[in-house]
Amino acid sequence: MRTAIQAGSLLAFVGLFALANVRLPEWLPVDLYLRLDPLLLLGAVVAERAWIARALWALPLLVATLLFGRFFCGYLCPLGAILDFFDPLFHGGRRRRPPAPEAAWRQVRFALLAVIGAAALGGLSLAYLLDPIALLTRTFTYVFAPAAAVIANLGLDLVRPAAVRLGWIDLAYLSLPQPAYFTALATAVLFAGIVALGRVAPRFWCRYLCPLGALLSLTAPLSLFRRRATAECTACNRCRSACPVGAIVEGADPVSPRDCLLCRRCAEACPHKAVRFPALPAAGERFSRAGEHGPVALSRRTFLAATGGGLSLATLTEQTPFSRLHGKRQLVRPPGALPEPAFLRLCLRCGLCMQSCPTNTLQPCLWESGLAGMWTPRLALRYAPCDQHCAVCGQVCPSQAIRGLPLAEKTHARIGTAVLKKELCLVWAQDKPCLICDEICPYNAIVFRTVEGHRRPVVIAARCNGCGFCEERCPVKGEAAIVVVPDGEIRLEEGSYRAEAERLQYQFVPHPGDDRFFFSGPDPKPDGPPAPSPPAPGKPRGFL
Amino acid sequence: MGNGSRREFLKAATAGVALGMTGVPDLGWAASPPDLAVISGEPAVAVRKALELLGGMSRFVQKGQRVALKPNMSFASGPERAANTSPAVVAAVAAACMEAGAERVVVLDYPLQTAEQCLQRSGIREACRPIAGVHVAAFTERKFFREVKVPRGKVLDRVEILAEVLDSQVLISLPQAKSHSTTGISMGIKGLMGLIWDRWSFHGKYNINQALADLATVLRPQLTLLDATRALTTGGPGGPGDVAEPRLVVAGTDPLAVDAYGVTVCPWYGQRFTGRQVEHLAVASERGLGLIDVERLRVHKASV
Repeated sequence: MRTAIQAGSLLAFVGLFALANVRLPEWLPVDLYLRLDPLLLLGAVVAERAWIARALWALPLLVATLLFGRFFCGYLCPLGAILDFFDPLFHGGRRRRPPAPEAAWRQVRFALLAVIGAAALGGLSLAYLLDPIALLTRTFTYVFAPAAAVIANLGLDLVRPAAVRLGWIDLAYLSLPQPAYFTALATAVLFAGIVALGRVAPRFWCRYLCPLGALLSLTAPLSLFRRRATAECTACNRCRSACPVGAIVEGADPVSPRDCLLCRRCAEACPHKAVRFPALPAAGERFSRAGEHGPVALSRRTFLAATGGGLSLATLTEQTPFSRLHGKRQLVRPPGALPEPAFLRLCLRCGLCMQSCPTNTLQPCLWESGLAGMWTPRLALRYAPCDQHCAVCGQVCPSQAIRGLPLAEKTHARIGTAVLKKELCLVWAQDKPCLICDEICPYNAIVFRTVEGHRRPVVIAARCNGCGFCEERCPVKGEAAIVVVPDGEIRLEEGSYRAEAERLQYQFVPHPGDDRFFFSGPDPKPDGPPAPSPPAPGKPRGFL
Repeated sequence: MGNGSRREFLKAATAGVALGMTGVPDLGWAASPPDLAVISGEPAVAVRKALELLGGMSRFVQKGQRVALKPNMSFASGPERAANTSPAVVAAVAAACMEAGAERVVVLDYPLQTAEQCLQRSGIREACRPIAGVHVAAFTERKFFREVKVPRGKVLDRVEILAEVLDSQVLISLPQAKSHSTTGISMGIKGLMGLIWDRWSFHGKYNINQALADLATVLRPQLTLLDATRALTTGGPGGPGDVAEPRLVVAGTDPLAVDAYGVTVCPWYGQRFTGRQVEHLAVASERGLGLIDVERLRVHKASV
């Protein structure tokens, strides 16, 4: 039963994750697990010091934990399920001993929670670093989804010869887009480390490290359902070794509800059927016991150190050159991204925007904007452009650090401006007949003008929304001769991008251009080694 | 200029249609198919008529053969933009291939814009869906291309071409008539650039006009059918730009002749040109790749 629920929840998580793509229907909350996560959402609310609408989704889990304990960790958490499913691999009949001193280790998750909370108070989002849902979504985005595509494409490559021969054309030419991400290896190593810690103790992560579990532990002791041992208990201690999180303390029949995941492994292990999880204590049973509502396993000293550490970290991060450079717009952010400081505080680093991005241009930052910006999405436009028929990144963003926008609005959420580097451009520098940026630009923001008698591409900035097709397609090797810089980006906390773009006199519509300009003057012979013949006087290029 | 050219264009178009309707007799038509069939009318009907005048699709497609159709399918825009071949033309040719007994037809291109969007917004996938045996595919990965030598190449010595095209017995080119800001116009010969992997080198590394002629020595479509039902006369290849409506389908076995005729069906950038005035066509003619002088072609015009 427990395994079935865990498997179901993991499947639901994977299914929702897989549905995060450009064809996503508007009503489907693929970010459901992230929305439900109070650590992420409330962390973002505290850091931003403003209520965010989707944080409402996170409250039910807190309330439910108040009523039922840490059922989320025991049954629903997809990372918990993965750790449980991996556990037999590490078990191997070996007795695992928890790390000593155990009491010190048990402080860690609460200390981490204190660091995260204090940092959030100081305006720095850190929950993303170790929140299990963010971490797992990220791992799926950067590691599992690309790996799945590799495997699927290998399979397709294998059947291709047969499919071609049999005339199954649709199968023969099927090839899945292969996403790839910077930071994939780092993410994989972190995830593998978390799984491998299971070798030390089952659910090592949940026992000692998980800050979301720590947050839920704070409300869990008030829950109704709690483990009770009846009079049949012979203190054989089999339940103790069955408990995956070491919640059963020797000699104490009610477990620590802060640790108990309600997984019922103890009840399964009990030879006397002496373990029950009643809603209320039966007559004669002790309702409570010293320690049950006791203080959190976190010493005052550690708490103070953690809080102080979190606050200082937040303060120090504010004072790095990175945060002062934010005002100078170092990175091209996704269309609809909130203004940089708010964006950094709200972004949950889940990577769902990148998973859903059809072109793979959304890439995680590593250290480009410092600790505060790790794993935040940016556009790698030399690598891939921003699809102009897609607005999915904002739609899937659980905290709305990227605002969910209708396509017409997203088109006007200008992300930057294309800048032509004449010294690299094949036309400007070598007089070659290249037109690719002009050809590919969806808004005809690149036009040819006669400059000192030569036809030269120039950027009409008022028509450029920074989509990056020009930069991606530029045939110059190495750095592109036309690059999108964040200058002129439009980032709004609220209100219409379209209205703002119109106010600033931008116009992003397919534009007929002004090719007729070719005729207005003759193009004289270029100096230097000519590529193909220069256009005949008064004729457009290509005509003699 | 806009006004004058429109009047000119209308005059020319009317004259063309009138000629077609009076049925100017075509010498030698009875003996063998004409060099070009130029049909005015609704796209699907005009395609049928053009094929019929050229001797029927069975002249090009034998039973059990595999056919590759190369339309312009490179832009995520509909037929009204005239950057892609119209779905009706593609579907009509694909259906004719199947009727002629083709084993299968693959409508293919290496799109410039996002592949899925091109397949969808061009309307070509939808138009071909009901025809059994016809597949529409956009290729964006190198593994689907195969390198071949270009023995007669002047600037190009080898080129990677879509393997499906190399493995098909028949290649039919279905270009859209459009302007092109580098090569003047883009029709049959320029359109074949959509079948190669490294098209970017044509803009940077090679003289594009020579490279196109080189490519035409290895990619020799058995039939070229130019979709001039609409023509993008400025702003090509992607548009948006001025769209004229010559309402013509121009078909023949010589891609150069088709292109040369295509140049004359409407003004480009507001000016009238002949095939010889288009550099890449002139180069192809010098290289002996076909006939470029329209007046020396046997053209059968008809209106349907």
